[in-house]
Amino acid sequence: MKPAAFDYLAGAALADAKSALAAGAKPMAGNQSLGPMLNLRLARPGRLVDIAMLPELRAVTETATGLRLGAAITHAEIEDGEVPDPTGGWLREAAAGIAYRAVRNRGTLGGSLAHADPAADWVIVMTGLEAMAIIDGPSGRREVAMADFITGPFATVLGDGDLLVAIEVPKPGVDARWGYWKFCRQIGEFAKASATVLVDPAKNVNRCVLGALGRQPLVLEESQAVIEGRLSPRDAVTQALPGRSPEALALHATALERALAQANGE
Amino acid sequence: MSQHEVTLTLNGAPVTKPAEPRTHLADFLREDHLLTGTHLGCEQGVCGACTLYVDGRPVRSCITFAVACDGASVQTVEGFEDDPLMARLRAAFSRHHGLQCGYCTPGMLATGYDIVRRLPDADEARIRRELSGNICRCTGYAGIVAAIQDVLASDPPAARLMPLPRRQRAAVSAVATEAAAPSASVRATEVVVEIKDGISLSRSLVLEAPADQVWPVLRDIPTVVSCIPGASLDGPVENGRAQGVCTIAIGPMRATFRGTAQVTLDESTQQGRVVGSGRDGLSRSSLDGALDFALEALPDGRSRLDLTMLYTLKGPLAQFGRPALVAEIADRILADAAAALAARAVGAAPPAPAKPLDGLALLGTSLKAMLKRFLRLG
Repeated sequence: MKPAAFDYLAGAALADAKSALAAGAKPMAGNQSLGPMLNLRLARPGRLVDIAMLPELRAVTETATGLRLGAAITHAEIEDGEVPDPTGGWLREAAAGIAYRAVRNRGTLGGSLAHADPAADWVIVMTGLEAMAIIDGPSGRREVAMADFITGPFATVLGDGDLLVAIEVPKPGVDARWGYWKFCRQIGEFAKASATVLVDPAKNVNRCVLGALGRQPLVLEESQAVIEGRLSPRDAVTQALPGRSPEALALHATALERALAQANGE
Repeated sequence: MSQHEVTLTLNGAPVTKPAEPRTHLADFLREDHLLTGTHLGCEQGVCGACTLYVDGRPVRSCITFAVACDGASVQTVEGFEDDPLMARLRAAFSRHHGLQCGYCTPGMLATGYDIVRRLPDADEARIRRELSGNICRCTGYAGIVAAIQDVLASDPPAARLMPLPRRQRAAVSAVATEAAAPSASVRATEVVVEIKDGISLSRSLVLEAPADQVWPVLRDIPTVVSCIPGASLDGPVENGRAQGVCTIAIGPMRATFRGTAQVTLDESTQQGRVVGSGRDGLSRSSLDGALDFALEALPDGRSRLDLTMLYTLKGPLAQFGRPALVAEIADRILADAAAALAARAVGAAPPAPAKPLDGLALLGTSLKAMLKRFLRLG
């Protein structure tokens, strides 16, 4: 199995990558999701620009409200605490559950989000944490809430010449609680169902998110009722996901129940 | 295709050889540097057989391109000959029958080395979790886990190989040149297979047109095909048998299914059945399916089309085509098709030319257009 032939450019700086993108190249970071598709020739881009080592995408900056992680920070760097974790450990734990260590050593935060596999960990976790996508495009920089960034299966708001350069994770309040649970048939596989729960009294945030839906994560409208115990996770999931099979609903409901239990310290 | 000079510190010695961009690190090492200790199993990042060290960290060499490692330090199983910790692991693998055919062993040793140096307190459960990315089809893993436990419990020597500081690019290494357009070589298939089991998908679409106007459109195969994004016919339809292509794009993936479909209609009940088979030559994937449809008039003058699909997806695409994902893609295609069918039924121009749904394909070139289409439909 060999990929179809493509041209390769390793940019030294963001400007190089941007001019390559403008000329129609596809960005490649850790290549851990794109790689299998290239090897199987399911994806056949003519030109790739390697963004894994761009200094701008490897930068980590603390902001007034959170932490800005460069898009090319690897899962393993987050797992190992090589970069700060503004959530006090939630990011590290999520990172440690992604695929396998050898994949985490190359796979990147931004690559995973831009790839937007509906079952990916960062896709739901960053939506659950209300992170922001920082996009550098032909008309300058813009910030997009993660819930709006992912628009469908493998689809994002990234347009021609756009590059996801960083992800800003807000720092939760002191009393904030969090739960993230995913169901995989086998360790490291794609999740069949996943859910996050964020309760942040200082910021008045009550947020339940369902993931691995085959499309973008779903922020439950009835999050607060679920968190306050007025609506059972099972009923909430059944309401929110009409038309799904009972088996699928059971998995998603269980994911939400377990994420909720984690957030409640149970 | 352009070649790039790739310089590595390979098992401690500097080496430089040219590589095509598409050459992954494992092939570069095996075929250009004749280091065949690195084994290739799945070549899609799943089996772990090709695991080796880049800059002191274990990585999958089958989904790491050689060009992306220019300037890196690479250590393969051959490079661990004099490493005291790896010597311990080798002896323990041998003692505990941690290998049989040996195919997975280089990858197992690489991961085992990382477990010992990174997780000195790992218990059996943790070792098994860490090893879950390395597949062994002989041993049942018991011997491998025991070997690593044994090394951890017997005061292992310090690892000589440690992660290096992360590199950043030093310079622009090449200028992109024009790529050859991927040439499609697909062959038609005459076979129409009646599928008996598969994944089922049911949908109801409300069409903004009365049933007696929709049915004449539905029974006209070329018109229906023209309403399906990405679909086209190869020639005239004879006795309900149609040959054509349908291109579907999912993120960076793109598949062009070429195949044959047999359509049968029941005029009296306004129902029909389509049975089809298609094959995407480039990804060697096939799609077999049956679609039952029934049209019903609604009291408000609109009509409802009930669809039940049964399909099987085989080949490389199947592992990315998880059922929830296929359902989502199908919904998007159906939403487009329904709008186009309704427009045709009332004699209006179709809302948009039926193009492949090539969402993020090739760097999201048409994402904006697709979004606009969805927003309008929504």
